[in-house]
Amino acid sequence: MIEIKNVSKSYVKNKKSIDSLNLEIKDGEIFGFLGPNGAGKTTTIRMITGILNADEGDILIDGNSITTNPLEAKKSIGFVPDSPDMFLRLKGIEYLNFMADVYDVPVEKRKAKIEELTKKFEIYDDLNSQIQSYSHGMRQKIVICGALLSEPKNWILDEPMTGLDPKSSFDLKEMMKEHAKSGKTVFFSTHVLEVAEKLCDRVGIVNKGKLVFVGTLAQMKEKFKDNGSLEELFLEITEE
Amino acid sequence: MKKVLELTKVFLKTSFSNMNSQMGIKTKNKIGIVALYIFLIVYLGGLIGIFSYNIIELLKTINQESIFIGLILLITIGFTLFQSIFSSINVLYFTKDSEYILPLPLKPSEIILSRTIVILVMEYFVEAMISLIPLILYGVLTGMGVMYYITMAIALILIPILPVVLISTIVMIVMSFSKLVRNKNKFQIVATIIVLIFSVAFGMLISSTNGEVTDEQMMQMIMQANSMVNLIDGYFPTLSTLITALTSTSVFEVIVAILETIGISVIALIIYLFIAEKIYLKGLVGNLFSGNSKKSKVDLNKNNFNNSKLYKSYVGKEFKILLRNPIFLMQCFIPAILIPILMIGIVALNFRGIPAEEFQEVTSLIPNNTIVVVSVILGIVQFFYMFSYISITAISRDGENAVFMKYVPVSLYKQYIYKIIPNFIMNIFTVIVTLAILQFILKMPIITLLIVFVISMIMNAFQSILMLVIDLKKPKLNWDSEYAVVKQNMNLMYPMLLSMVNIGILVLITIITNSLNVYIGSGIILVVYGLLTYFVNRYLYKNQVKLADNII
Repeated sequence: MIEIKNVSKSYVKNKKSIDSLNLEIKDGEIFGFLGPNGAGKTTTIRMITGILNADEGDILIDGNSITTNPLEAKKSIGFVPDSPDMFLRLKGIEYLNFMADVYDVPVEKRKAKIEELTKKFEIYDDLNSQIQSYSHGMRQKIVICGALLSEPKNWILDEPMTGLDPKSSFDLKEMMKEHAKSGKTVFFSTHVLEVAEKLCDRVGIVNKGKLVFVGTLAQMKEKFKDNGSLEELFLEITEE
Repeated sequence: MKKVLELTKVFLKTSFSNMNSQMGIKTKNKIGIVALYIFLIVYLGGLIGIFSYNIIELLKTINQESIFIGLILLITIGFTLFQSIFSSINVLYFTKDSEYILPLPLKPSEIILSRTIVILVMEYFVEAMISLIPLILYGVLTGMGVMYYITMAIALILIPILPVVLISTIVMIVMSFSKLVRNKNKFQIVATIIVLIFSVAFGMLISSTNGEVTDEQMMQMIMQANSMVNLIDGYFPTLSTLITALTSTSVFEVIVAILETIGISVIALIIYLFIAEKIYLKGLVGNLFSGNSKKSKVDLNKNNFNNSKLYKSYVGKEFKILLRNPIFLMQCFIPAILIPILMIGIVALNFRGIPAEEFQEVTSLIPNNTIVVVSVILGIVQFFYMFSYISITAISRDGENAVFMKYVPVSLYKQYIYKIIPNFIMNIFTVIVTLAILQFILKMPIITLLIVFVISMIMNAFQSILMLVIDLKKPKLNWDSEYAVVKQNMNLMYPMLLSMVNIGILVLITIITNSLNVYIGSGIILVVYGLLTYFVNRYLYKNQVKLADNII
């Protein structure tokens, strides 16, 4: 469970990039975080994962504050950043082993998990090559594998579908569904509205640092009394 | 030519634009930061000035001051050669913008000329740092006229051309084989090492043709004013003409020497461009696009799933990244071993003409276990720590990926320590290599070696931690090539500055404790650096979260 309590963040004085954000993502839920470029999606994700400190408010991951109890909070997060260009000089298998050591995954479990994940994403055969020889999509896959190795309770993914081929994208969506079904949390940002429509239990729309809508898609349509497409609804909300 | 200039402008802008923001010039503490840089420049300039002044005055007493010109030019050319090994490989082959430049309608010679100008501009900075003050001081102290300063300016422009062209040619020839090699990653590293070996061998070949000097010749030279300069003028093709240009009193000779230097440089440049036109692009394309290299298919057995202790895994990751990246390997790793060997080797080679008994006699005059000896060796070690760049780039090397440290469930302090360890280990190598060579030459008592080793380790810890703190405060995370981290990075002057300050502290403690027992003097040094290490480590621990604020 992720609780965002009255969080604000400014990069420059008198201009809040995130303004009094309140949000609760329950266990067993897939939550899509939408918004135009520069709306504050990545800033929010960076605060949830501990990369940025909030100026005001607090964020709790399974009850642990990311500010006052960061190590416990981070243990239950599996984070996929927006850029997959990580540790390019390591081999795929070295990267995964390193991540397993960081998250304390025992040998037997890591072996099974690495095989399962990398075979699913069809990168198993490339594990002995350096990550820099991978394509963008393959790099995205290895980073996702690294984040999911420890079976974290809360998945936080920043634009996870970017660069994935249709099959991998489908597989990832299925994994997200399975994860939520087992009572865990998925929080991800995306630009692709169709993904949000098909996958999310609830969505949050952020615009200019403020949360302008949170709820199910049915509620969104209800609230704005619009029979148009999701794209039209999104434009209507964010252009206000 | 217009295209070349435009392209050069773009390359230079991308190379140097990041430095301004890193220097903090746009930040609030503008005055403070500018003052700091002025202080640093004055401090370093002052040190070089005092050093040069003393040498020139000393040489004047034996009427051999012109050898100073030869020495400065030799050092400058040596540095330029050494620097251009790294800068040519990196600028010509490893900059990321090559991918965008290649599809543009440009001739290979235009690209290579622009790139070469970029390398030259970098060399001019190094050259200005090393030789500007000594050469001006020489002019002042020996009462030179206007012609000397004009010649000096022309000489400074000409000096780096031949070394850069020579090294870049070797680099291009080696890199042209990249097309034939399947494993590009390994090839990049091997190629860099081959270029290094070639260049060192080339340098030795040139210097060995210089011939040995007999005792009688040496005596003659000492007797005859300003003739010792002939000792070093054979080390590099343009060196003798440049020495003549700067030391001759005949206007005609000076003009001829300058024209000769220009001639040699221009011919070399033409040959270089001719070779570049033929082979540069092939090597560049071969090096850039490694997509077709055969991937080693995985056969995962139990050994692939190692369960390591976190510190082992983390430090191992740091070492792998350092070793597998040719730029980091050459700038952060190899210098730790190579520089002590090269420097002490060069000095030792100069002693080879002296008979063994005479040498023994001289070394036996050096008092064995005194605070002066300990301090001098510690000073030498400090000099080599200047080139230790692992800690000062520990955060910057990760680039935008450095945020990784902030979202994993490992305390930041622990991660800082893991990042410091490679620097610490490489410095141990530097100390061992230095002590081993010194021991081989000077045969010192074991106790002296032991004292130096222990104090060096404390100073090593202090340097490693302090440099990481500086990198945390001013990381350079947005770079387009790894080269920017190890070259276009203002932080790199801090190891040098720290070593200078440390040498100053050592001198001070030695002066104060000179009349006392060696153990008391060494003890004081140990306590001073022990305390400094304790405080800087405490600062790192207490501010671990705040220090990571700049990693975004």
